[in-house]
Amino acid sequence: MGVGHTDDAIGRTLGVRAAGSADAGAMAAAAVATWQDVALQLAPVIGARGFDVLLGRALHLASRSFPWLGDDWSTERAADRAQMLDTLGRRIAEAAPAAAAHASRATFDIFNDNLAALIGAPLAERLLDPVWALPAPAAKEIAS
Amino acid sequence: MTHPADIRRLPSGVPGLDAILGGGIPEFSLTLIVGAPGVGKTTLAHQMMFSFATLARPAVFFSVYGEPPLKMLRYQQQFAFFRADMIGGAVRLVDLTEDIAAGDLDAVLARIQEEVKALAPAFVFVDSFRSILVAAQRQADGSRKLREFLYELGLFLTGWQTTTFLVGANAPEGGAPPIFTVADGLILLEQSIHRNSMVRKLQVLKMRGQATSPGVHTFRITGEGIEAFPSATIRDDPGKVTGNPPSPPHSTTRIAMGVEGLDAMLGGGLPAGYSLLVAGPSGSGKTILATAFLAEGVRRGEPGVIVAFEQTPSQSRTPTIDNMVRAGQVGLINTRSLDLSIDEIVQRLVLRIQGMQAKRVVIDSLSGFELAVAPTFREDFRESLFRMIAALSSLGTTVLMTSELEDRYTDLRFSPYGSAFLTDAIIVQRYIEIASGLRRVISVVKVRGSAHSTEIRQYEIGDRGIAIGARIDDYEGLLCGRPRRSEKPPAAARGRPA
Repeated sequence: MGVGHTDDAIGRTLGVRAAGSADAGAMAAAAVATWQDVALQLAPVIGARGFDVLLGRALHLASRSFPWLGDDWSTERAADRAQMLDTLGRRIAEAAPAAAAHASRATFDIFNDNLAALIGAPLAERLLDPVWALPAPAAKEIAS
Repeated sequence: MTHPADIRRLPSGVPGLDAILGGGIPEFSLTLIVGAPGVGKTTLAHQMMFSFATLARPAVFFSVYGEPPLKMLRYQQQFAFFRADMIGGAVRLVDLTEDIAAGDLDAVLARIQEEVKALAPAFVFVDSFRSILVAAQRQADGSRKLREFLYELGLFLTGWQTTTFLVGANAPEGGAPPIFTVADGLILLEQSIHRNSMVRKLQVLKMRGQATSPGVHTFRITGEGIEAFPSATIRDDPGKVTGNPPSPPHSTTRIAMGVEGLDAMLGGGLPAGYSLLVAGPSGSGKTILATAFLAEGVRRGEPGVIVAFEQTPSQSRTPTIDNMVRAGQVGLINTRSLDLSIDEIVQRLVLRIQGMQAKRVVIDSLSGFELAVAPTFREDFRESLFRMIAALSSLGTTVLMTSELEDRYTDLRFSPYGSAFLTDAIIVQRYIEIASGLRRVISVVKVRGSAHSTEIRQYEIGDRGIAIGARIDDYEGLLCGRPRRSEKPPAAARGRPA
């Protein structure tokens, strides 16, 4: 289960980013863009390496329920993040639409829970609020 | 006409620290916080940051870590001062670990400048500065680059009117780095471990433009954060520190002890503002006398404070004291800690005295006090007592201290701490054996600058407290515990016709 109000917010954000499409490719793009936003918010505070380690663990744990996500995520270097997200996007895009949505949502939930366990739910929510408050993809330029 | 620059002193938000700093942190200054790992540097920095920062005057905390920021955030938020709701608003956290890992000081400086320009903070914290020193040392021309970096950083932050804190390790052996010279302030944190106790100490080695409190002060880290305990200094007039023993304030007022007959023995009551030592063996009624002293004060509208050092609740407190504490007439400071510093007790006591406008203070007992003081301070226990009495005297309170005497009858002693000369008055209680019976006697040994009784009087302890009885005329050697009948006839009998 996700932390606090982010439970609904994650689903809403992914839905908005995917423009309501049930297509796995749209969900993949939405998930990758959201992860980039999460990294933008967190890396200045917990460090780029801190973010990468948490993302790697979230993917590792999510792969237990969604084996097609794979468990070969390397988080040794921050520079690998782009490649990591490319791979993630590709695997989600190749999944069935429902599985793509569930896996994406589950990975964010796990990530949030782990972050909250480490730094507390209030601070985790505070740091990620700008990501979940995103009204629409067009409202913010997605950093690459 | 010229005016000197007006240096505003910012309250640090750390209890006790501003008194040590000489008023607070000077605005726009650059202060170093140094000390060994684990001593509380980051905690001190965070506590000040959360106290300083507002949305109008935000703070930026640059993390240049050996330890991951995730861990820092995890542990720092255990403190009450940590406000998660301020993160991202009044408090910005910026991680520079990646930047410093590359070892390019110019890039680090550029990043700091970029963030400061963007966020316009009033306060800047860099933790830990040691990482920057290490990065500089790795470079070929590291020493020169470090000097340039420091100069540029100091100049930039001054120009942007930030109050800056650099958190780092102690000066390395072989000389202090240039930053120790250019800093306006230098706060050193230390911790010493002695047997089972750990004591944290703080020194302000430098704070430009203001008179700091010299010497070593202690501090404690609790769930509330850091609390500093300024070392009690002795002043005989405003601004002048002296090493002489404190003189009791000249007072013609005498205060009642609450024990019938005792005031007369003291020459009309205890002079207000005096310190009184009540010495006696276990069970002789020292706490009962102290209770009567406080109760009499309460009866006369003079609030009191008692400092107890009990290892179990109500171990030595009397029901009367409990009732007065519950009624808010007497303040209670009880501690079971065994790693106190004298300054911590004095600070708690002074705050309580000022808060209650207390006139009477009881310390019960010096034996418990000595146990409660961290072993590292026990060697200086006598000096500590001296400073405490001076601090209490300066507040105009009258102090009663109890002291356990060993049941030793071969010599006459009043205190195992050599504290007798420190106090203005002494009352001694003893057991004596007369006719195969144990009796209690009481005597006033000293009242500085005042005539007093020299009688040795019997007393009983009953439901109503201490009842002082007749003097013992026909024995001598009472205080040594082996009275024998006096060969001389009692004074009352002398002069009678045979």
